[in-house]
Amino acid sequence: MCDACGCQTHTHDHDHGHGHSQTHDDSVIVEINRSLFAANDAMARSNREHFDEERIVVLNLISSPGSGKTTLLEHTIDRIGSEIKIGVIEGDIETERDAERIRAKGVPAIQLTTGGACHLDASMIHRGFHQLQKEPGGNSIDLLVIENVGNLVCPATFDLGEHTRVVLVSVPEGPDKPAKYPKAFTSSQLFLITKTDLLPYFDFEVAEARKEALSLNPSLQVMDFSATTGEGFEVWLDYLRELVREEKGK
Amino acid sequence: MHEMSLVQGLLQQLRELASEHNTSRILKVTMVIGPLSGVVVDSFKFGFEVLTRQDELVQDAELEIVIPEVGYRCSACQNLQKTAGERPHQCAACGDTLLIAEEGNDLILQQVEME
Ligand SMILES: Nc1nc2c(ncn2[C@@H]2O[C@H](COP(=O)(O)OP(=O)(O)OP(=O)(O)O)[C@@H](O)[C@H]2O)c(=O)[nH]1
Ligand SMILES: [Mg+2]
Ligand SMILES: [Zn+2]
Ligand SMILES: [Zn+2]
Ligand SMILES: [Zn+2]
Ligand SMILES: [Zn+2]
Repeated sequence: MCDACGCQTHTHDHDHGHGHSQTHDDSVIVEINRSLFAANDAMARSNREHFDEERIVVLNLISSPGSGKTTLLEHTIDRIGSEIKIGVIEGDIETERDAERIRAKGVPAIQLTTGGACHLDASMIHRGFHQLQKEPGGNSIDLLVIENVGNLVCPATFDLGEHTRVVLVSVPEGPDKPAKYPKAFTSSQLFLITKTDLLPYFDFEVAEARKEALSLNPSLQVMDFSATTGEGFEVWLDYLRELVREEKGK
Repeated sequence: MHEMSLVQGLLQQLRELASEHNTSRILKVTMVIGPLSGVVVDSFKFGFEVLTRQDELVQDAELEIVIPEVGYRCSACQNLQKTAGERPHQCAACGDTLLIAEEGNDLILQQVEME
């Protein structure tokens, strides 16, 4: 499967450990008990091993459309792009626009257009990662950020092989997202509340959103900031610095 | 939203199973769809109906769907509470409000009946 990098091929082994039983009319019942996510999960594990071998920290950003994922990336690159080598995989349904915004910052980025699919999966990331490595600068990154398709439902179901899953909610969206889309919050490690410069104009209590999210997932880390004013942004940057440091020390 | 591609993955597995067992007809497929799996049951049924139509192997297959209960583990006392309904607000044993969902995330091909 993967001549490009020589990483192990990802075969699916079906052991014949399942039981059979005969029914009255000659039909056979076979017990399978196999997850339909198993193929994706196996590919995700192999991606993660691959990233670890190359000492690259990988984040998977998930949110509704327009929560500020690309803007967050642009400002992050401006602030620490000279310290940490960043690479980006953009998932979008149709356009190249987000990848172009990132490339304009001088950072390697590729766009996976999913052709209508509503989420990225581990095999897309596998291909995308090799494609990224062929871009100028793509072969020496410390931090890979995957911007998932804007949607809080199915991206939460597909492990991509990331180290940290980050869920974003912007102030104009309201604080009830955790209650409505619990899986995005229970499967993430970090919750970012974005566009806090807009708090004066919206009925959004940061404390309430934080509490809702923590009641679903007590180990979730929560940060709030505005990318445009830079308020609260330093905490996020320090978080990234620490992640990269940890991965290098593994 | 992505139920179609999940059903395609299922059909792929069914074809492999059929050739492994030398059968040309599958009669029944039992799936366990966890309430927290992010899979919409009606969309899954619809995808199954559409995608099995042109495939002789599964044309007449019945789809049975089992929806398991979700287990919520109390982070304070470790008590496990199972429910098919709404997420409980607090632990039935100690009253703590930090409950972590442990089960109900998966989409499992449980059983296949074939000729
Ligand atoms: N006021 C304010 N606006 C912001 C902030 N961050 C992003 N925006 C605006 O929000 C809009 C959407 O931002 P994007 O960064 O494109 O959002 P996205 O999540 O990448 O969107 P999709 O890729 O379409 O899902 C843009 O108009 C941004 O200028 C912020 O911190 N404050
Ligand atoms: Mg974007
Ligand atoms: Zn590879
Ligand atoms: Zn068998
Ligand atoms: Zn999807
Ligand atoms: Zn308890």
